[in-house]
Amino acid sequence: MQFPWTKTDRPRPSGVDDGDAIVVSGLRKTFGDFVAVDSVDFRVKRGEIFGFLGPNGSGKTTTIRMLCGVIAPTSGGGTVMGYDVVDEPERVRENIGYMSQKFSLFQDLTVDENLRFYSGIYGLTPEKYAERRAYILRMADLEGRENELTGNLSVGWKQRLALGCATIHEPKLIFLDEPTSGVDPTARRQFWELLNDLANEGVTLFVTTHYMDEATHCNRLAFIYRGNIIAEGTPQEVKADLTADTILQIAVDRGEEALAALEGLESVDEGYMQGSLVHVNLGRRTAEDAGLREFLVDHGFEVGAIDRVEPTLEDAFVHLVTQQGGRA
Amino acid sequence: MSWRRIRTLIWKEFVQISRDRAMLPILFIMPILQLVLFGYVVGSDVRNLNLAVLDQDNTVQSVRVVDAFTSSGYFTVSARPTSDAQLKDALDGGQAVVAITIPKGLGDAVHAKCAGQIGVIIDGSDSRTSGVAAGYASGIIANLSNQFYGAGGAAMTAGGVNAQVRVLYNPTMRAVNTMVPALLAFILLMSTSNVMSQAIVKEREKGTLEQLFVTPIGRADYLLGKLLPYTLIAVVQLTITFLVGVLWFQVPFRGSLLVTGGGLMLFMLAALGIGMIVSLMSRTRQQAQQTSMFLQMPQMMLSGFMFPIDALPKWLYILTFLIPLRYILVIVRANFLKGSTFVELWPQFAMMAAFSIGIFLFGLSRFSKRLAD
Repeated sequence: MQFPWTKTDRPRPSGVDDGDAIVVSGLRKTFGDFVAVDSVDFRVKRGEIFGFLGPNGSGKTTTIRMLCGVIAPTSGGGTVMGYDVVDEPERVRENIGYMSQKFSLFQDLTVDENLRFYSGIYGLTPEKYAERRAYILRMADLEGRENELTGNLSVGWKQRLALGCATIHEPKLIFLDEPTSGVDPTARRQFWELLNDLANEGVTLFVTTHYMDEATHCNRLAFIYRGNIIAEGTPQEVKADLTADTILQIAVDRGEEALAALEGLESVDEGYMQGSLVHVNLGRRTAEDAGLREFLVDHGFEVGAIDRVEPTLEDAFVHLVTQQGGRA
Repeated sequence: MSWRRIRTLIWKEFVQISRDRAMLPILFIMPILQLVLFGYVVGSDVRNLNLAVLDQDNTVQSVRVVDAFTSSGYFTVSARPTSDAQLKDALDGGQAVVAITIPKGLGDAVHAKCAGQIGVIIDGSDSRTSGVAAGYASGIIANLSNQFYGAGGAAMTAGGVNAQVRVLYNPTMRAVNTMVPALLAFILLMSTSNVMSQAIVKEREKGTLEQLFVTPIGRADYLLGKLLPYTLIAVVQLTITFLVGVLWFQVPFRGSLLVTGGGLMLFMLAALGIGMIVSLMSRTRQQAQQTSMFLQMPQMMLSGFMFPIDALPKWLYILTFLIPLRYILVIVRANFLKGSTFVELWPQFAMMAAFSIGIFLFGLSRFSKRLAD
């Protein structure tokens, strides 16, 4: 079917080509008395995968919405792909892709109709649309399923189609707001392969996630907590603070109860659950593990292996949050 | 604002509507269903009333009296009691709602050109039916009187009924004639405010709204992409209602399409504004549905749509001025039945314009603000 819109593709002014993809200074948003984002500053370089991490309600989504020009900051501002987020929000939105945790496709449209819709919104020429459509169908592994209702696809396919729709206009910067939440591990891995492919093509990716293992895919990270950025750097830099600390991983039955008991100990700085295992940070103290085992056995727990482990991003995150006087 | 984007949004809206099994019947069957229901039930006329006849005269004249009643179509003879006691039983037992008694001597009185007597007794337990029956009976008797004595001659009086009723504009008092024009406005209100708020809430519920606003779609694009499809659908619904009303229910249209159409378009702004406000007040489609219902009740009751507002207590009557449906009902009914023009209807048009533009702009500003937060 031929499109009614056959205008030629408007040349996209690329903003300032050599600058950073995102430059943010003093960005602040308040809702009444509540400070959602408290004067944050950061930069994202072109072509990097930038991880924006933080617990729910810490200001991640609000920050993204301001960067996409959907809501106006209370004060401060920034540029995205060279365009001012306050003064040129429409320019910003033409030059970015955005995909959220809900993969906001139209469930009652077919695969093809979703593609055609976004192509119409971004004003692709019929030739460009045909090319992108073929590419996305191949990428999302949806060839031959063009006429299926999107609502009937399983979650991994929906997610890849959503990525396809969000990038149909080949943006050089993509915001991904918890793109993999609620997706099974296989689909998550496949999805990250797609993201890595995009990054290799020079696309800048701004990703929020609360899966710490995914954060290791990122070139650089920022932790946001209660509206403030509390750490920023490469994964190594973020963990550097902890490399001198002793982190123990303890296999124990009734993990939650054991954790509560251990947190009462003076020698334990921080503790939290990593899956079914208990992680404790002993700070600069060493070789205290024997003491812990006896302590746990005394309290009637069945204790398995206790190993010293390299600090993970999760350890770093808990450490940072504890320093802020809160809990993750 | 970009026409290309608006066109894409409209195309998407129509594809979605065509897939929505709940929406389609509402959009195109509801107007017909309402027309038929309101047209036949609410708008039904009082006809074939059961009539008891006690004829103690048995003359050519008394037979003509009974004929005049039955041939009118409003009455059918259901009982012929022979005494006052039997007549009372017929009324008490519900075999008849109206009774006429023709005392001995009517024929002689007509010959002598002096006043005759007919008794008409009406069961008043259903005030609407009895009111209409009294009107019919007095009309028939006045007519007979002319035939027996010639116009201006001595009068024949019916017991207790001595009304000269003359109904203007809707001489047969067909309720459907006032119902169909009113339905045009009512259906417009239902489909635009209700259906549009549903469509917006659905989009927010599914998260697609969030997605749309990180694309270059602007607020104006989005709103036009929503308003235009539902405006178009409303126009189709109105056309169907109008044609069924005029062709099937034979409602006379004495007005102009310009006045009726112009009034309805103005009213649609109010309906769209209400739709936007409802969509902001609701998080789920069910809530939107309930809010719409909640708002519909007072509009139906206090606008004159079903019940006359003149009889309302004063404090309630004042409230009716706040309901835009009230003004459009006057406009469509007057234009339909009397052919009234802008000149006569300007106060209604002025009030409607004020309300519609006010509500629409309020809805619009709240809507843009909500999207901005």
